[in-house]
Amino acid sequence: MMQKLWLKKLKLNYSENVLDIIQFGSSVLEESEPNDIDIAVIFYQIPLKQQLEERQDIKNQIKKQVELPIHIESFDFYSFFDKGNFARQGILFNGKSLINEKNFAENFGLIPKLRISYILRNLKKKDKVRFNYLLSGKQGNYGLLKKYGGELLYPGFIETLPENENIFLKEMKKITDKLSIERVFVPK
Amino acid sequence: MNEEKKGILENNAKEYFSSGNDELKKGKYNSAVVLFFKSLIALVDVYILKKTGVAPSSHNNRFRTLQQKFPEIYNLVDKDFPFYQDSYIQSLTKELAEVIQDDAKIMAEKAEIKL
Repeated sequence: MMQKLWLKKLKLNYSENVLDIIQFGSSVLEESEPNDIDIAVIFYQIPLKQQLEERQDIKNQIKKQVELPIHIESFDFYSFFDKGNFARQGILFNGKSLINEKNFAENFGLIPKLRISYILRNLKKKDKVRFNYLLSGKQGNYGLLKKYGGELLYPGFIETLPENENIFLKEMKKITDKLSIERVFVPK
Repeated sequence: MNEEKKGILENNAKEYFSSGNDELKKGKYNSAVVLFFKSLIALVDVYILKKTGVAPSSHNNRFRTLQQKFPEIYNLVDKDFPFYQDSYIQSLTKELAEVIQDDAKIMAEKAEIKL
């Protein structure tokens, strides 16, 4: 189940060396069944030994406040952008700050968005209608866009929040498999 | 039996530590991290064996014992373990190898073993 730690106002003590503490990975996605919670701590540049000790302290504090195991990583800005950091894309796109409750990308003046395009052309009319209901709702029931947040940019193209990827794709695939996604950043 | 196990663990800890130093000098930091961590774990096992009379039989068993009985050492191992786990897929640094080397030295002092 999704674990919205960034909305829980966890009481965390951390030093001024910490720029941000970010939750990322499958635990931030709607409709997920994570085995653990991925946390990244971004430090200003400090010695690695101190970085690891401080991150371990943060891990221990979070561990006391959640049930799932914590998988913690730490970076400074040099190591964060290193090509060997395979988590950087996920942290940048899906990361949620436990400090300010915002997207991590907002530190860079960017808001991450998920864009899904779909083709209904060869569907039966009743399936096209079903698809429309799925997105926009029917008779007072919310559709995906209103329920989870999102908008129709133009026919065949919607935009929503990164954390909705699983739920949107799962529901849309029940009607059509002609879907493609784009992960984009828009200026704040 | 326990003395025999203790002897093997001590020898392994020393061998891994020495090989870790060799790899560090050669600039092979991934290998150095793995070897220093193995040395650290052998030292942890000596410590547990000395304190409880039983050597851990697996990583799970070791972590459980540490968490329940020796939280300070658990914290040390839990801090370093992810690097050992990820060492096959990440490019590890000299600075990290030196941190794990230092932790092995700290553990050697606790286990009263001269590396």
